[in-house]
Amino acid sequence: MSTSTATWPYQVAEQLASITGSDHVRIDGQKAITVSPADTTQVSQVLAFAQEKRLTVCPQGGATKQHWGQGGQPNLHLSLARLNRIIEHPWQDLTCTVQAGCKWSAVQHCLAMHGQFIALDPLFKEKATVGGILATNDSGALRQRYGSLRDLVIGMTLVLADGTVARTGGKVVKNVAGYDLCKLMTGSLGTLAIITEANFRLHPLPQHARNFTVVASQASRLAPLLASIRASHLLVQSLQLRHIGSQFELDVQLNAHPEAHQEEILMQMVRSEGLALESASEEIWEARETLFASDATVLRISTLPSQICAYADHLQLMQSGVDISSVAQGIGLHYVALRGAPEAITKAIRNIREDAARSQSTVAVLLLGHGVDAAAFNISSPVLSLMRSVKYHFDPDGILSPGKFFAGNVAE
Amino acid sequence: MRSSLTPGVLSELRNIVGDRGLITAANQLQTYECDGLTAFRVPPSAVLLPETTEQVQYILRLCHRERIPFVARGSGTGLSGGALPTEGSIVISLSRMNRILNIDLPNQQVTVQPGVINANVTAAVAPQGYFYAPDPSSQTVCSIGGNIAENAGGAHCLKYGFTVTHVLEMTVVLPNGDLVLLGSKTPDAPGYDLAGVFIGSEGTLGIATEMTLRVMRKPEVVQVILAAFDTISAAAQSVSDVIASGQLPAAMEIMDRLSIEAAEISVHPNYPACEALLLIELDGPEAEVNLQMEVVIDICKKNGAWETRLAIDENARFLVWKGRKAAFAAAGRLSPNYIVQDGVIPRTSLPAVLEKINAMAAADKLRVTNVFHAGDGNLHPIVLYNRDNPGEEERAISLSLRILDICVEAGGSITGEHGVGREKQCSMSYMFADPDLETMQRVRHAFDPFNLANPEKLFPTPRICGERSRGAYAPHPIEASGIAEIF
Repeated sequence: MSTSTATWPYQVAEQLASITGSDHVRIDGQKAITVSPADTTQVSQVLAFAQEKRLTVCPQGGATKQHWGQGGQPNLHLSLARLNRIIEHPWQDLTCTVQAGCKWSAVQHCLAMHGQFIALDPLFKEKATVGGILATNDSGALRQRYGSLRDLVIGMTLVLADGTVARTGGKVVKNVAGYDLCKLMTGSLGTLAIITEANFRLHPLPQHARNFTVVASQASRLAPLLASIRASHLLVQSLQLRHIGSQFELDVQLNAHPEAHQEEILMQMVRSEGLALESASEEIWEARETLFASDATVLRISTLPSQICAYADHLQLMQSGVDISSVAQGIGLHYVALRGAPEAITKAIRNIREDAARSQSTVAVLLLGHGVDAAAFNISSPVLSLMRSVKYHFDPDGILSPGKFFAGNVAE
Repeated sequence: MRSSLTPGVLSELRNIVGDRGLITAANQLQTYECDGLTAFRVPPSAVLLPETTEQVQYILRLCHRERIPFVARGSGTGLSGGALPTEGSIVISLSRMNRILNIDLPNQQVTVQPGVINANVTAAVAPQGYFYAPDPSSQTVCSIGGNIAENAGGAHCLKYGFTVTHVLEMTVVLPNGDLVLLGSKTPDAPGYDLAGVFIGSEGTLGIATEMTLRVMRKPEVVQVILAAFDTISAAAQSVSDVIASGQLPAAMEIMDRLSIEAAEISVHPNYPACEALLLIELDGPEAEVNLQMEVVIDICKKNGAWETRLAIDENARFLVWKGRKAAFAAAGRLSPNYIVQDGVIPRTSLPAVLEKINAMAAADKLRVTNVFHAGDGNLHPIVLYNRDNPGEEERAISLSLRILDICVEAGGSITGEHGVGREKQCSMSYMFADPDLETMQRVRHAFDPFNLANPEKLFPTPRICGERSRGAYAPHPIEASGIAEIF
């Protein structure tokens, strides 16, 4: 930070107040200021000011995943809380435009009035915001059927580090005009720009959703069943493998008309593996949230879909002295919570990464427990320099979300 | 013919790809002077036909060192001039890299080289009950590499998404010759989604030389309904009603009378003769599809469909789709020359936009026939003209670009699947403001600081958009000899 023309924090706060009004600037001790602009224009003014003063900025939505990707403490927290309007829902076009500060559940509630939804089940949907979910590219088990955010976002309004306001994509689902910056922004952890508005494609709400669980003592017992479900014609909405406590649970959500008798087909498949199918409640799909409780270190590990069960068992064998819970999505994305002594967890992560380097899996550390030491990402060098180059062209002074993704300084 | 390449550079290029991989003879270069957008032609300085990723790397390193612009080319079926050479550029044709490298059905993945033909991916996995979802009309000839460059769609992307939904990982040679792996075979590669931005970048960020695609389980049953209407509006209303009923068909297409007639003459699909034909495909488990089809037929009848014809067996469906996919080429039966346009609008504005298009066409004394991917609002107006009539080609080009303006004004896009290329780069400034375009350029500069990869495409440039000159048409040699029709 260079405060040559403004003294920290009072004068900076005053200048920010001239943009947003003093009610929307809060000094948080000596370290940081939280500023809450009202709209895209004010976000742009705040960023232009920050860039000029070389103040670092982290965008903030519901603050449920603020630590993902690690990174340092910024000078300014830019809260999107006031950008909380659902701008339009042309339901016959199956699209909507919402501001980034909207709570996820509020948006879904509104869309449900016309029997539609954004086909994504992120973490903490009561608190998490549209912008935060986009920035972290969070997705739940529904991804099995509908894909992830990259398949659902069709347009965005962005504010770049220098205050430039840019629009990308549009309001129609099918659109290949120019680069698709929505994809670049999704999952960029606020390091390239601040998302202030997003357009989504919508889907009709499932009309016949039914949830089922199959329990086994080892994941490998469930592997043949999982493989045959994936190769079947069942209309599977969601698929996940839970390991919280001592057993493994395979959760399946079907969405087919009762006359299609898919439940019976699934039942047959389960029986032929010598297992039992139980009805389950909707809550099973929120199991991922429990992983983030009580100072856990949380990893996101990707494997091939065919490896899910084997990997879940393998994780249990690989560690000693660390308690492991996991929720793996059917597409091959494992959310893994580690609890135990910080040194043991640090060592466990190192083992998991070494192991991953030998296979095709990748490991991201989403959340670090107290005293645990591990980098957020391991990205190999040729593609890392390209990513650094992208970062440099969007944010040459490195003011946005400092340190996220890139441990050191921005290259070039 | 002039070549901007020095003898030294030419001999280095020959060392990389061998005699068989280098084309410099003027008559052979002609094949590469345009793609499916034949109104624009520029001969390349040379054409290279590499056979390995390494050769592509060597070529791009040389281009980087000598600052030679390059244009990658797949099958050359693009409709927006994406593979059109630029003054002084070489063309790198990936057509010899056409091997399927690996099939991993437990993970529903297929790894291929860029020259593999789209339809061959499905053919490779069909016996095991899988398919590759993106299905552009040219799928029997277009290549996967070209599909990636354009983020190709097709009739079935309403339900299944575009090329970008189905590409997991790519080996990419950057414009400086560096090799990177974008995306991954496992979900959510760490870091920025560079694969997401590369797909659809129209060859301006590098060359993909190997790609892993996702294939999907073939649906248990597929049914297509053909519904005949007296007006396009009634067909369009049926589309909106189907969406409102909570169904997501695999495809919803509308063809107008002229397109139906043209398809009939060309491939005889035996369509009902009507003003507007709505074609809806449902797929999924049999019982589910039967139930949904009842709802769909009800909706069509309620909106005045006087004939609803179900195509259930594979041969009947094949014929229905053959007619639809031949629609562009069949326009040649209606008129000596035509331009296929590709705009997108919010689907509810379809009747209003069509009315405007018809009024503009009438004012310009031109005929426009329409086929649409109605489910996602993607229009393909085909402007018919005869270039032998003085001034008609200019009027046709102008009309086709003004149609795009209308799409933008309706809240849509200037291209749903054909890309911007050379054809629409000036329309980009109508759809996007300067800061939007400048933000895209930041990505471009990160990948290609010297602007060597397919330069003068996609973005508006003062040189091109200032003058808007469009060269006179000369038939392509293979077209003239009857080997190929323009798609």
